[in-house]
Amino acid sequence: MIDFVQNTIDGVMTGSSYALLALGFTMILGVMRRLNLSYGPSIMIGAYLGTLVYLQLSASPIVVVAVTVAGAVLAGIYVERLCFAPMAAGAGIASMVSSFAIWMQLEQAAVLVLPRHTYPFPPLATGAPLTFGPFLLRTDHLIMLTCALAVSTGVQLLLYRSRFGLALRAIINNPVAAHLVGINVRTAIVWAFVLASVVGGIAGYLVLATDQQITPMFGMWATFKGLIAMMIGGLGSIPGAIVGGLVLGVVEAHSQWYFGPQVRDLVAYGLLFACLVLRPGGLLGGPPVREPFPWRRGT
Amino acid sequence: MLEISDLVTAYGKIEALKGVTLHAEAGRITCLLGPNGAGKTTLMMSIAGILQPLRGSVRLAGTELRGLPPARIVAQGVALVPENRLVFPQMSVRENLLAGAYQRNDKAGVSADVERMYERFPRLRERREQLAGTLSGGEQQMLAVARALMSRPRVLLMDEPSLGLAPLVVAEIFRIVAELHRDGTTIFLVEQNAHMALQVAHHFYLMEQGRVTFSGAPGQLAEDEVIQRAYLGAREAG
Repeated sequence: MIDFVQNTIDGVMTGSSYALLALGFTMILGVMRRLNLSYGPSIMIGAYLGTLVYLQLSASPIVVVAVTVAGAVLAGIYVERLCFAPMAAGAGIASMVSSFAIWMQLEQAAVLVLPRHTYPFPPLATGAPLTFGPFLLRTDHLIMLTCALAVSTGVQLLLYRSRFGLALRAIINNPVAAHLVGINVRTAIVWAFVLASVVGGIAGYLVLATDQQITPMFGMWATFKGLIAMMIGGLGSIPGAIVGGLVLGVVEAHSQWYFGPQVRDLVAYGLLFACLVLRPGGLLGGPPVREPFPWRRGT
Repeated sequence: MLEISDLVTAYGKIEALKGVTLHAEAGRITCLLGPNGAGKTTLMMSIAGILQPLRGSVRLAGTELRGLPPARIVAQGVALVPENRLVFPQMSVRENLLAGAYQRNDKAGVSADVERMYERFPRLRERREQLAGTLSGGEQQMLAVARALMSRPRVLLMDEPSLGLAPLVVAEIFRIVAELHRDGTTIFLVEQNAHMALQVAHHFYLMEQGRVTFSGAPGQLAEDEVIQRAYLGAREAG
């Protein structure tokens, strides 16, 4: 019983970082109806820049966060300009395939340019874990959970309380109607990419600071975790992204404890498979992705 | 007010508009009738900047609109109530209205206009916190009209506002059109419902296969013939 509770606590902690990755994915998918497979690798680029300023200038954690986020945003804009902006409406597959190509490009760049495979990443907190009765709480996990809560609340407020949020939700609801009410859709999409990259950069920093190391495979890892969490929670749904991330984290923690690390990923994919079969829309089944140009069918 | 001349819009190699010229006069209701596939919605989407015309011009009080992005066209004073309404289904009625005023910066004026819309459409006030997707077809149409009016347009374009609505609701929509006209709104209306449209229009055009084939006042053409041509397109039949 104690193990079960402890595993659940650990799962929620790591799950909160999956939730942030899923949140970034879902924002881009919701606004553009296109999948950005390069999301993880662009975070990886930002994180390498973060670890660079740490190793070269022994920068403080605040600076490392700032550089990681800024790098992720720049890489995100690079992906948007290359894979999303030039593609015509309705060419979603072209964007997805080209974002896969940029994924490989970024990953190979990291593999070829860097002299070493693994680099240290500055830890968040190194103190002894807090104890509550029989339970242990790692301080860096606590910071991760707090940041994840703060970021997702911030995103929620931005979406539901601001003019920019109104525009983004209008685009998610119906891009043609968003044009018709005078929203500058192209500009809003670029800002949505920036926002998703900021969220992803923070998530990447939190994960790497707990792992205390970074490899070029981090991009793939982030894309997979974000994608799986988003699909479990429900495409395009913000609460779904949070729930999907937490569920994935908890299930992984339990399967790692009971069956070992090799089985953990197997269980994660099994969970995704079960979700897709039983609830194809995800746990919180977001709005179905509608035909973006319904009037094209008519005159 | 709104002058369209020799407008050509194509989907790939197929020209949907083959040089359309028409004129919507200030303060009046101008109506465009025609069968399915004549290019009516293409024309509306071309005026609003969603589709890019190849040639021709769209002028609002002398200002060229062709080539401007949709947001700039709204800023110039053109608002479109699109075919199938296209409300934001996952947003509340009130948020839909606020989105309609997206370009405006006068907060007080916007809230006053939201209030004005609730007065004109009491059903929208009753349902103001409800998600727009849960409204009935007629209510969604009213919301689409109110949303377009929130930008304080100089010309209101309406694309088949009666589509898919019950006869009573259609009558209500046309009562609203007449009311908007009385308040001085310039209206350019695309319709399939020729009977209702001819009752409110001051001037009407017939469009068949991407071309304007008739222009005149209601009464200049027998209603039977208008209906025949508006529904079936009489050019090849004759």
